Amino acid sequence: MSALPTGAKSKRNDVLLLLLGFAALAAVGVAAAWQLQRSAELNEQITRALLYKTDLIHLLSLVQDAETGQRGFLLSDDERYLRPYEVAIGEIDEALAGVVARADDRGVKRDRIETLKAALKVKLNELSETIALERAGKREEARSIVISDRGREAMNALRGVVGLIMARQDEILAGRVASAKLNDQRLLAIMVLGLLIAGALAWASQAVLRKQARSLAEARTELAHANEGLEAAVSERTAELTAANQEIQRFAYIVSHDLRAPLVNVMGFTSELDAARRTLKDQIDRLDDEESRRVTTEARQAIEEDLPEAIGFIRSSTAKMDRLINAILRLSREGRRDIRPESVSIEKVVEAIADTMYQQIEAADAAIEVKPGLPAIVTDRLSIEQIFQNLIENAVKYLDRSRPGRVVVSGRRVGALVEYEIEDNGRGIAPQDHERVFELFRRAGAQDQPGEGLGLAFVRASVRRLGGTIRLTSEAGQGSTFHLSFPAVLKSQSEGLAA
Amino acid sequence: MSQNSNQRSVVIVMIEDDEGHARLIEKNVRRAGVNNEIRHFADGTSALAFLKSTETTANGPLLILLDLNLPDMTGIDILGDIKKHDRLKRAPVIVLTTTDDKVEIQRCYDLGCNVYITKPVDYDTFATAIRQLGLFLSVMQVPDA
Repeated sequence: MSALPTGAKSKRNDVLLLLLGFAALAAVGVAAAWQLQRSAELNEQITRALLYKTDLIHLLSLVQDAETGQRGFLLSDDERYLRPYEVAIGEIDEALAGVVARADDRGVKRDRIETLKAALKVKLNELSETIALERAGKREEARSIVISDRGREAMNALRGVVGLIMARQDEILAGRVASAKLNDQRLLAIMVLGLLIAGALAWASQAVLRKQARSLAEARTELAHANEGLEAAVSERTAELTAANQEIQRFAYIVSHDLRAPLVNVMGFTSELDAARRTLKDQIDRLDDEESRRVTTEARQAIEEDLPEAIGFIRSSTAKMDRLINAILRLSREGRRDIRPESVSIEKVVEAIADTMYQQIEAADAAIEVKPGLPAIVTDRLSIEQIFQNLIENAVKYLDRSRPGRVVVSGRRVGALVEYEIEDNGRGIAPQDHERVFELFRRAGAQDQPGEGLGLAFVRASVRRLGGTIRLTSEAGQGSTFHLSFPAVLKSQSEGLAA
Repeated sequence: MSQNSNQRSVVIVMIEDDEGHARLIEKNVRRAGVNNEIRHFADGTSALAFLKSTETTANGPLLILLDLNLPDMTGIDILGDIKKHDRLKRAPVIVLTTTDDKVEIQRCYDLGCNVYITKPVDYDTFATAIRQLGLFLSVMQVPDA
């Protein structure tokens, strides 16, 4: 688990790297879009320059057409030859307007346009003048105008200026084409860069994924190891506890046996002592009056009162000690008993206990009530029966005689546990005794009932053996409730603490 | 005890570490009218040494009263030892002990113990039991060792 912080750090780095990669890709995309836009603009400009050139050529060709028409008409004096002139004249104004209108946009100097316009005007005037003269039959005058070179010069000027404008357009075109080429190269570079970044990203992503998958697998393996270790530790601990528990059981067993042996002597020789006393007493009783008077009252009292009293105390004490030792033996023997889990209906158990206790319940003017919905349990039948037997007996035994007794057994299933409550309205247990009552040989409250203080100690030991817990809530004078909680299904005995 | 049928009277070997118990047992056996010699041993080692001595085996029939809780070895070990011994195995063994554990009782009978008696703590019961044992001993046939 110590790998976690560095793992988190490298993960953060991975994410950062990926984010950077995506940012770079986005930047490349934006750059490419911008370049494309620019490329389109350049192309547009190139197209416009070309169109302008076409327009100029068109204008020039119109003028030439007009001139051709004029020449033909002058030569033939046939109106039919004038046809090209008329067509051209009809279109020239429009063509000129187009060229003039886009002059600024095409970077054509205004004086050039003026020159163009002037030359055109001179040329058109020359043409219309000569045609008018020809129509008027003044052919010679018309020819002299033609020969005067006025028209030719105007035409030359026109060609010259158109040539200049065209050259300017070619210049612009060359610049734009170079730009477009550069632009395309840049676009290509950007595309290649984009592809490279995308490739790198894809590679980085799969590397990150693989790394994560690997670390995940490692973590899983580690976890599995840890789990195994944990299980081993738990079973080791359980084994230790079981061993310790068995040791305690054996210890209790041996101690109680060793305590029993001297007790046999105490009781035995007390009886021998009593027998000896009786012999003496018989002897004294058989004395006649004369002899009897010689026996002191102290001696008589010793034999008739003091010795029996002392012997009586020794007997009652040893009897009590014997009961206590038997209790310890019973506890330790119960701890050594095998636990055999089986399904037990607590409802039936409680009913059976209530039946066997009919006499006591009647005597105490009490009732035992089983709340519906008492869950069944899989556990050791004998142990659970003894637990309920002890608790219900206690409840009936310590009822408050001043009111009708009521013992309520309820229960419910809570997840993997079952909980039972045994509630009475008896005399209750003072708060300072809540823990004490579970201790061996300890009792609480008025000592007006027979008992050795074993029941609850036994109950708690049994509850623990069944993997459960027992808790007490009580208010002196109001009643007590014992809360039991057990696993709903007890594992087999080999896993028990004191198998 | 078998005095009528046997030339040599039966010796009761009592293996009991508690002097008090030994004395109480002896008293009550005597009260039942048993007058045989009682040899008392307080530990297993000396008891086994006595039982296995040639002198003892040559000296006629034995009856063994055995306590299970001994300081140097358990009565179970002694019982096993006796029942594996060529001549001793026929001697009746009465286990007289404080243990009333079922497993222990079973083990003793498995090993060949003849009677298992739990010492009652209550003396009246104890005395009665021992006296009845004494009566039982007085009618019991013991094989020659």
